[in-house]
Amino acid sequence: MALRILLGLWLAVVIVLGLGLPMVAEPQHWYDLPIVPGLEEKARIIFFHVPTAWLSVVGFVAALVYGIRYLRSRSIEDDSRSAASAGLGFLFCLLATVTGAIWAKSSWGTYWNWDPRETSIFVLLLIYGAYFALRSAVEVEEKRASLAAVYAVIAGVTMPFFVFIMPRVIASLHPEPILNAQGKIHMNTAMLLVFLASLAGFTGLYYWMWKVYVKVEQLRRRIQQPTGG
Amino acid sequence: MQEFFGQNALYVVLAVVLVIWAGIFGYLYRVEKKIKKLEQQIGKP
Amino acid sequence: MTTLRADRRFSWLRSVIAVYAKDWHSELRTRYAISALLMFVVTTIAIIMFSLGSEDAPPEVLSGMLWVVVFFGAMSGLARTFVMEEERGTSMTLQLLTGPSAVYFGKLLFNLVLVFGLNSVTVVLYLLLINGFVVKTVSIFLVTLILGSIGFAAAATIIAAIIARASTKGTLYPVLSFPILLPLLLTVINATRMAGEGAAFSEAYGEFQLLISYIVVVIAASTVVFDYVWKD
Repeated sequence: MALRILLGLWLAVVIVLGLGLPMVAEPQHWYDLPIVPGLEEKARIIFFHVPTAWLSVVGFVAALVYGIRYLRSRSIEDDSRSAASAGLGFLFCLLATVTGAIWAKSSWGTYWNWDPRETSIFVLLLIYGAYFALRSAVEVEEKRASLAAVYAVIAGVTMPFFVFIMPRVIASLHPEPILNAQGKIHMNTAMLLVFLASLAGFTGLYYWMWKVYVKVEQLRRRIQQPTGG
Repeated sequence: MQEFFGQNALYVVLAVVLVIWAGIFGYLYRVEKKIKKLEQQIGKP
Repeated sequence: MTTLRADRRFSWLRSVIAVYAKDWHSELRTRYAISALLMFVVTTIAIIMFSLGSEDAPPEVLSGMLWVVVFFGAMSGLARTFVMEEERGTSMTLQLLTGPSAVYFGKLLFNLVLVFGLNSVTVVLYLLLINGFVVKTVSIFLVTLILGSIGFAAAATIIAAIIARASTKGTLYPVLSFPILLPLLLTVINATRMAGEGAAFSEAYGEFQLLISYIVVVIAASTVVFDYVWKD
């Protein structure tokens, strides 16, 4: 339990630093954040928006991995883990899409632009939606688990194609060029530290939520089968 | 009021996010506690 | 010894063709599905014509729309081969008669034939009736059509197998298929646009490579995974 309190404090500190550290044109103190031309204060979003996008991918990969595990083990535990990962991935994908849209509106005027990044996160959202639509359409537990796992595999196998398609699609509005324009190290130390801390913290949060989800499912199954266990 | 908001918008956001986070954290913590209790209850028989 | 092995491989091929032939003859007998599909294509293209009126839509839009029609045509027809087994209760018999891979490839073959037929009709009608749509580089267009159709059949078949075991098959099919087909769709739309602009054949190599790898990857994954879908 102490670890969880630590996680709570960690993320609270990340939030305070991410939103509170001063942003100056010429960073002088070790804790100053640089002003990114064109973004200024809005660059702080990187501490919160990117981790949600990262977690939506983590959720997908985890769902895929546990799905494959289920297909080989036939243990319903693995399916619970897979579904839990997908559920969280879905949540964070929604958050990433929404925060991305809000940011797009404030930076470039429109909520949605169909640039490669936005399109990929949208497709991920569709895949999650399809995954849960499939799950809710199958009554038998084992069949549901198998079909869901199979779909995760097919989706996992076709997703990488987007990486290759994106370059062929028209130029992106995503600010990575702006941040990268400063050369190899696109974030100064303070920014990088807060960013990595946020990434770590959110991943920890994901892991905690996932464990809770899985435990609840386990308990539910144990309660429904008092003789089992 | 609007001036205050305009100048300190960022800190308002900070406060809001902290409150949201406190809520999420508190909720997760409570759920975890309940799970522990249930696990002990079930683990026995 | 070699004759035994040859026999086994040969009999697998025969199973595949048998599965295909069974589906094929069953469709020919009723013809409901094929006529419904044709009507679907005709109606959709008619709607597009009416909505365009005498206006000309930009060629990029028209390239995209062609594949929208193809997509929904595929969604109307390609699930039949598996859903029909469930509906008629013949699924278990088929499981007993032959191995999963023969079933998969047999039905893939069936869907391939269906898709080629459907797309040919769609493309011909589209070219004839939609005025703004011109194809300058025919070679790109043809190759795109062929590879695109195979890709459609590949993805649509495995998803069809999945939803045949679910309850809300009709609405579920496009929902599951769309994300999987999206890379394919984006690529063929892009290639069709290139054909419309008169790009050189070599410029589309990237697209063709993508299409071929997509087909290979999807079919390979499907063969591995089909067992888990098919076996009860």
